[in-house]
Amino acid sequence: MWQVAPAGDRALLVTIGSAIDPALLGQVLALDRALQDRRPQGLLGTVPAYASLLCRFDAGMTDAARLEETIRQLEGTVEAAIPSGPVVDIPTRYDGPDLPEVALKTNLTPAGVIEQHAGREYLVYCVGFAPGFVYCGALPEQIAVPRLASPRLRVPAGSVGIASRQTGIYAVESPGGWNLIGRTALRLFDPTAEPPARFRPGDRLRFIPTS
Amino acid sequence: MIEVAEPGRWTSVQDRGRPGLERFGIPPGGAADWFAARVANELVGNQPDAALLECTATGPALRFDDDAIVAVTGGHIASAAEWQAVRVARGSRLTIEMIAPGLRTYIAVRGGIDVPIMLGSRSFCQRGTFGGGFGRPLAASDRLRIGQIVGHEPVAEVWPPSHRLQLRGPWEVRVIAGPQTDAFAAGALERLGATACRVTPEIDRMGLRLETPGLRLQPREMLTVPMTAGAIQVTPSGELIVLHVDHQTTGGYPVIATVISADLPLLAQARPDDTVRFRAVGMDEAVRAWKRISGWLDLDL
Repeated sequence: MWQVAPAGDRALLVTIGSAIDPALLGQVLALDRALQDRRPQGLLGTVPAYASLLCRFDAGMTDAARLEETIRQLEGTVEAAIPSGPVVDIPTRYDGPDLPEVALKTNLTPAGVIEQHAGREYLVYCVGFAPGFVYCGALPEQIAVPRLASPRLRVPAGSVGIASRQTGIYAVESPGGWNLIGRTALRLFDPTAEPPARFRPGDRLRFIPTS
Repeated sequence: MIEVAEPGRWTSVQDRGRPGLERFGIPPGGAADWFAARVANELVGNQPDAALLECTATGPALRFDDDAIVAVTGGHIASAAEWQAVRVARGSRLTIEMIAPGLRTYIAVRGGIDVPIMLGSRSFCQRGTFGGGFGRPLAASDRLRIGQIVGHEPVAEVWPPSHRLQLRGPWEVRVIAGPQTDAFAAGALERLGATACRVTPEIDRMGLRLETPGLRLQPREMLTVPMTAGAIQVTPSGELIVLHVDHQTTGGYPVIATVISADLPLLAQARPDDTVRFRAVGMDEAVRAWKRISGWLDLDL
C-alpha cells in the first residue's frame, strides 16, 4: 500500500516502496503522469525520486486530506511502465582521483573497474540533490563501494562518481561524497536551456570510455 | 543605478524564488525570511515579486546615482532607519553594517532591483551558481539597475512593531510530524520537542546544522526521497540539518518533522548558539499561523 504523509503544511510525500527497483520507479512515473493528466485542484507541482513522489499544493485551494483522497483513488489503477527512449551515450574519461582506490578495494585493476562501469545500460532513477545531478543504477555488485568517509568540499562539474549500487554525474560544481572515477565534457545542466536539466527519471544512459 | 561600495559579508539579489523546478534539482530559493522581504517591498510600494537585496550578518554600503526610495527590514541594524520607506538622495550612501539581533536584513528599492530573469526568477541560486545578476553574491563595484515593478504609492507610516516577527532567540518553531516518522523509535519527536537544540555556526541558505544536547536520535537508513524547505533531517550521528530555501531537492537522511511555512522566517534569523525548541502541531494550527501573518500583509494564501 502507498504511504501518504505530510511533508510540512504545503506538500504530501507518496512513498511507494523502499528499494531501487525499476518497477517502483515505473509506478512513481505513472502516478506522476496520472496526476498531470487529472490536474487536481490546488496541485502546484510534483517531484519524483526512486520510489516516491512529492506533491506540492496551494493551501488556499486545497488541503492535505482532499489531495490525499485524489492520490488514493489512483492507487492500483496506474499503468506502471517506464517510457522507452533512446540510450544516451556519455563520453567519459576514466581518470578520476578515486579510480586507483576503487580498484584496490574491489580487487580489480583500474581497467577492470572501467570495464565493469562502462558499456552497460543504466536507468536514471532521480534528478536531484543539486541542479541536474543524475542518480543511476544499478551498478554491478563487483564495483559497489561505499561513499567516501569524508565528502569533498568541491567536486567539479561533469565528474562521474559511484557509491554502493549507484553511479551518478555531478552536473554543477558542488560538495560530494561519491568515489570519482571519471569525467565527462557533456553539459548536464544549463539554466538558459529548456528544460534546464539534460536527463529526467526514466531516461537511460551508457558511459563510453574516451582517451 | 546603485553601486556596491562594499558588498558586506554575503549579500545577494533575491525575490520570491523559482518554486516548481525541483524535479530538475533546482531549489525554490527566494528570500530566506519571506516575511521581512515581503514587508520591505510593500513599504516602498513594489509588487510582491520585485527583487531586493538580502544581507547576511554584515550588510553592504551602497552608493545611489539617482534619488530613490528604500525600506530596510528584517534583522536589526543601527546604521539606518528600519521598517519604513525613506528617501535616499542622489549621490548619497546607504550603509547597513552589523546585523543583530537577527541574521538577515532586506533592502527594498522602489521599482525593484532589475537583474535578468533566469528560470522565472531574479534570485541568486547558490547551488547552481546562476541568477541574481552575477551568478554569485554581490562584490565591490557591482552596479545594480533600478526597475519599474511598482504596485502602489510608498507606505507613509512605520510598519507597526505588533505586526513583525521576533528577531531574537530562544526560538519556538512549530513543526508537522514526518514524513519519515516510521524511521524513528516511538516517542522520538516528543523527546526532540523536550530538547533545547543549539544552532551551530554552520548556517547558510541551504540549511542550518543543530546539535541536540542530551539527545541522540538514531534513525533507520532510507532510500533517497524528495525534500522540502523546513525538513528536519537527522544524520546518522544524530545531528539535525534543517533545510532552508536553497535546500537540496532530494536527500537520504530521514526527516523527523517539517517546519511550518509561517515559522520558516524565524530560522532565517537564528544565529549560532541560539536555542531552538521544536513544537509539534497539526495542519490546522499551521494554516491558522499562516493566516495570522498573511492577514498583517493582506496576502493571499
